[in-house]
Amino acid sequence: MTPALRVSDLRKVYRSGTVAVDGLSLTVEEGDFFGFLGPNGAGKSTTIHCITGIATITSGSIEVFGVDAVKDYREARRLVGLSPQEFNVDVFATPVQIVDWMGGYFGIRKPERKLRIAELMERFELTDHLKKPFRALSGGLKRRVILARALINKPKLLILDEPTAGVDVELRLDLWRYLGELNRDGTTILLTTHYLEEVERLCRNIAIVNKGKIVRQGPKAEFLAGDGLEAAYLGATGAKPDHVAAGAA
Amino acid sequence: MSSVAVKLPVKMIINWVGLWTIIRREIQRLLRVPIQAFLAPWISALMFIFIFGYVVGSRIATIGGHRYLEFVLPGILMMNIVNAAFLQATSQVYFQRFMKYVEEALVAPLSYAEMIIGTLAAVVFRSISTAFGILVIAAVFGGVKVVSIPEFIFWVLVVSLIFGLLGMAIGLWAKNFEQLTVLNIFFITPLSFVGGVFNTVSMLPPWLKWLAWGNPFFYFINGLRHSMIGFNEAPEPLGIVLSLTFLVILSAGVWRLFAIGYGLRE
Ligand SMILES: Nc1ncnc2c1ncn2[C@@H]1O[C@H](COP(=O)(O)OP(=O)(O)OP(=O)(O)O)[C@@H](O)[C@H]1O
Ligand SMILES: [Mg+2]
Repeated sequence: MTPALRVSDLRKVYRSGTVAVDGLSLTVEEGDFFGFLGPNGAGKSTTIHCITGIATITSGSIEVFGVDAVKDYREARRLVGLSPQEFNVDVFATPVQIVDWMGGYFGIRKPERKLRIAELMERFELTDHLKKPFRALSGGLKRRVILARALINKPKLLILDEPTAGVDVELRLDLWRYLGELNRDGTTILLTTHYLEEVERLCRNIAIVNKGKIVRQGPKAEFLAGDGLEAAYLGATGAKPDHVAAGAA
Repeated sequence: MSSVAVKLPVKMIINWVGLWTIIRREIQRLLRVPIQAFLAPWISALMFIFIFGYVVGSRIATIGGHRYLEFVLPGILMMNIVNAAFLQATSQVYFQRFMKYVEEALVAPLSYAEMIIGTLAAVVFRSISTAFGILVIAAVFGGVKVVSIPEFIFWVLVVSLIFGLLGMAIGLWAKNFEQLTVLNIFFITPLSFVGGVFNTVSMLPPWLKWLAWGNPFFYFINGLRHSMIGFNEAPEPLGIVLSLTFLVILSAGVWRLFAIGYGLRE
């Protein structure tokens, strides 16, 4: 079966000269819930930006459901939804406008768009905030708008870059449930987060990236065997678990 | 959870809904700042028309065989079209980058052509709205005449597109708000003033005549003036060829900038 995402030998050097991604290869099977982990500055967001067209690729290749994300970028974009780490919106616009424009960009016609927006606003409990400008929303509400925007086109591959940062306990639990549902209904999900608990709960496969390279990859069970996910994570990223534990004591 | 079926168009040749969304979105943004976008140029044009056309103009017999108000109106109109187009394009492109919502277009199935055409459509909307308002104001002073409507439309459109494209390039290049205005202050405003808004070239001292002939605004202003009152100091075909050449070069340039992701993609 064609994988949902195949990244081959990706390299990304920013104009500043920073090598953010350095020969990264990654395969996410269709239907997977994939955890993409790594320390700050490891290159997670950069990889995601290359997949979604926000950043140009220095070398390597990316395929989304077998479609080349550079050559046939329009075809590839249609299949993907992105909830980015940073809020990249017109902060003076309202939640409905933000989601509506994105739906329009995806070529969804007005009647369908309206139904889908109503559904998403309801789902993310935004119905009391439809007329407020984005900048006047609380952090958690902003995050919900961004998630709703990512889902407008019913993506086959949903990419979430730290979707639960700054979100309260209740919404986080609700979101976990919702992501689980989406995944069961067939949406492939790539999740980046610094909350290992989230990964333990949701993901089936995990890749850990450090300094632009994958340092460990495999099914979650392999990571949980032994001293658990945290120890595996710290081991893979080069921090010494024992040393960290001793320092914290 | 019951869910709405979302149908994405199969194999899009042109993403019409996407294109229209770019235009609609920008018009919605403009309508958030109507004073700055529309009222400001109309009031400034009203002052120009009143002082130069009406007050000063009544002391001037005729210029090139025309009432002074009729003579300056195409110049005032052209200056405002240029400004509206340039401002619209720079702000549209720059705001998207500044607030990062350009990423919304980048992650969507939009082609470069759709992004460029969408931006230019908003540019044309703004410059035509501005021009229309000024024509209404001028009509109140009895100074509106258009002898050739197709020629008038040609100049309004071509100049809007030229400065829209130029504005887009500046919007992609600028690193801050200051840089957005550089071209306007050092190039557009001075050159439009010496390009024959208020006077004929024959009024210039001989040693300054080159300032007109080597100035693209001279051809734009005279082109529009010819379409309105039939008076033209510049050779008409040269003006048309020159403008279309600018248009082609700028289109290719902006296309190239989008294709390499200049100022758009990291
Ligand atoms: N636009 C940019 N221009 C130049 N360098 C950048 C840019 N974005 C990121 N970088 C650099 O690229 C490297 C990888 O950054 P990236 O944002 O991909 O990390 P990350 O894994 O997402 O980190 P975090 O967990 O903090 O979000 C860092 O060294 C960062 O400073
Ligand atoms: Mg990141």
